[in-house]
Amino acid sequence: METVLLCCKTVGTDSVFTETMWRRSVGAAHTWFGCRSAGPKRIWGPHAVRTCSTPALPPGRITALQAVDLWRRHFEERGVTEPGHSSRYIIAHLLGAKTVESLEHGKLTEFLSQEKTEQMWRLCTRRLSRMPVQYVIEEWDFRDLTLKMRPPVFIPRPETEELVELVLRDLMKNPGTGGDSQHACLEVGCGSGAISLSLLKSLPQLKVIALDQSQAAVDLTVENALRLGLQDRLQVYHIDVMKDAETVLSLCRHVSVLVSNPPYLFSEDVVSLEPEVLRWIHGVIILSAAPRFEDHSALDGGEDGLNVIRQILTLAPHILSNHGRVYLEVDPRHPVLIRPWVEAHVEGLHYVATQHDFTGRPRFCILQKEKSHKDRELYLGLRN
Amino acid sequence: MLVSSCFRLCFRRSGGVYSSRGRRAGWRTLTGQTCVNYANTTEQQLWRTATTKRLYHSDLYKNESVQRYLQQLMEEYRDLSKKLEHVYLSESDRKVLLKRQSELLPLANVFKDVEAALKDLEELLSLLHGSACVKDKDEQLTQLLKEEEAQMSQEILNLRKDLIKALVPIDPLDRSNVLLEVVSGRTTGGDICQQFTKEMFDMYQGFACYKNWDFEVYNYTPAEYGGLHHAAVRIAGENVYRHLKQEGGTHRVQRIPEVGLSSRMQRIHTGTMTVIVLPQPVEFDVSIDPKDLRIDTFRSRGPGGQSVNTTDSAVRIVHLPTGISAECQQTRSQLQNRDTAMRMLRVRLNQSMMGKETEQRHTARKQQVGTRSQSERIRTYNFSQDRVTDHRTGYTTRDIKEFMKGGEALDNLISDVLAHAEREALLEVVESSGSVKQPASGQSAD
Repeated sequence: METVLLCCKTVGTDSVFTETMWRRSVGAAHTWFGCRSAGPKRIWGPHAVRTCSTPALPPGRITALQAVDLWRRHFEERGVTEPGHSSRYIIAHLLGAKTVESLEHGKLTEFLSQEKTEQMWRLCTRRLSRMPVQYVIEEWDFRDLTLKMRPPVFIPRPETEELVELVLRDLMKNPGTGGDSQHACLEVGCGSGAISLSLLKSLPQLKVIALDQSQAAVDLTVENALRLGLQDRLQVYHIDVMKDAETVLSLCRHVSVLVSNPPYLFSEDVVSLEPEVLRWIHGVIILSAAPRFEDHSALDGGEDGLNVIRQILTLAPHILSNHGRVYLEVDPRHPVLIRPWVEAHVEGLHYVATQHDFTGRPRFCILQKEKSHKDRELYLGLRN
Repeated sequence: MLVSSCFRLCFRRSGGVYSSRGRRAGWRTLTGQTCVNYANTTEQQLWRTATTKRLYHSDLYKNESVQRYLQQLMEEYRDLSKKLEHVYLSESDRKVLLKRQSELLPLANVFKDVEAALKDLEELLSLLHGSACVKDKDEQLTQLLKEEEAQMSQEILNLRKDLIKALVPIDPLDRSNVLLEVVSGRTTGGDICQQFTKEMFDMYQGFACYKNWDFEVYNYTPAEYGGLHHAAVRIAGENVYRHLKQEGGTHRVQRIPEVGLSSRMQRIHTGTMTVIVLPQPVEFDVSIDPKDLRIDTFRSRGPGGQSVNTTDSAVRIVHLPTGISAECQQTRSQLQNRDTAMRMLRVRLNQSMMGKETEQRHTARKQQVGTRSQSERIRTYNFSQDRVTDHRTGYTTRDIKEFMKGGEALDNLISDVLAHAEREALLEVVESSGSVKQPASGQSAD
């Protein structure tokens, strides 16, 4: 957002700014391509901008609408997913708005400046390489927040907005009354920080601890927290729950909410979908030869997609306070697997409910910590 | 003619007031009967001058058709009371009559008070003249009576205001909260429109603060140069719609831009912005069954969730029983869009549920305020002349800076426009009722 406003300030600074912005993102691209530059294809880079696949810059001036149309058709021809949306989001971003619909009337029929036209070409060229729009414009909305997006950190999905809704609904129904009962929350796998920051924004008393196994995700979460002024109540740690459970346990005790959108795709789906996904167009998962935009470790949940979920549920009773809850976003096939597994393997955790997402798919699991019978007997025994 | 007719009216309905005022009755016996005749002759004159002065304030009261309408209603009220006492009625008929009676009751009460007050004044005046003719009888008493008279006149004045208020048709939506939108004009004025839209937004925010209302921003789309394209807010509090309903329409600005060539040339630009005010009734708040809704969003094939990355955040919600729908693609968050669409759907459902009656009343109100319509220019803010003019009433105020703070200055203007609109509304009702029942009321007046 900031970048947009700056870009638009005056024509004079505009060119300088875009220059630096461009250089910076190119730089980012380099580091992120660095590991796979040995690959056979380099989809884009400083040189790729002017490859033959990109339509030539128009000789004369064109309007925003013409640019949108031209790129939509080009995306279509090249099989880029959501061609219309992509080119519209990019132009809206360049013109300082979030969506074309929220642009001022008549703005689309105005001529683009030379600067803006070039920017449009640069950004759309990136999209042509199947880079998700969210990475191209480097930001996206999650609930009422606008978050910075940067590869390879996972881009939050609309389903996760509903996960936050579930947590908020429960916490608002039962607000902590200060003192000890002030709520604390743990998020495992924070990515861009979407869940944690939304919770912090809506609940001014809440404190959150966020973990991620990727340094890039930790950095992005911190950056987003700073942008939104929510850093004071947030602690972010670079920890892998799979490998370092002890550190997790030493850091967090007696939290009332454990929320996570863990990697939950089945490995076979990730593997088998990949080429298709590329062909019929997703931008999420790309052929191994091409750049991977989103970190696979943020998606792949192992053979049955439950690797991380099982770990979280095993740790949950030790982390939660009594009656504390776990909120998970999972694959629609998961709830029926999770329930019996928890009953058989995790003591002190009670499966509360399965919630459906806006498409009607069983998407969220809610579990609650209850003092186990053993504890209760012990307690009764002590009293007698 | 008018005054005398209203006088007649007072005399006619004044039975039984005397006896209740013991104190003044005492004075009457004290001053004696000698001057009564004299008093009667001058009283009318005095009364007349006093009345004309008062009528100047509440000019509606002297309006012939308003008086006729008032009498009609009182006649109706008496008939109703009589019927309810004597005539045998079926239960349903009785209910209808009782409902109408309770509608008229506040008016009838004020009317009674006015009559009683007039009677008292009349009495007082006669006393005053009685004491005046018995010269140097009692200076103190005369003084007292004069004070009393002034007080009574004021009371009558206030009562008449109440009476007019009771006559003005009540807008059941007055107590509603509102959805207020400010929209920058098209490019006619360029940046000036957006700048002005922002100032208007700030003004309404200030006004909400001044009135101690809640001000919740639903949408805020800033323009590139620090102005505002569009904003939607929900304003909640006491009688919000009543005070803001007159704000809907096109507002015009005239000023010299702060930057650019025109600024250097001191050239005045004209721009516009539009305010839209939709009532969100409190008591009509519809409960929507989630089962009645169809929510259309992008739906992927396969398992969805992490396996899909879509940028399609548009949402459309259809209320199946009514077919009313709302859609939103203002933000890149699907949930935000869904919430906004839901709120819009709610407002639309409310509006449609309000029914035909309100619709008719609204068109009626629009007509009676004559040329006013949503698309019309209602007010001009001339910055170079430091002046705000409302075109519906001609009300003009200086010190635009103070006005744009949304405090007392704006409140005064709104009150003026509101009073004007209510007067128009009353005249509309009066005339429409007069045209139907004129012959009957003409007879009764004579």
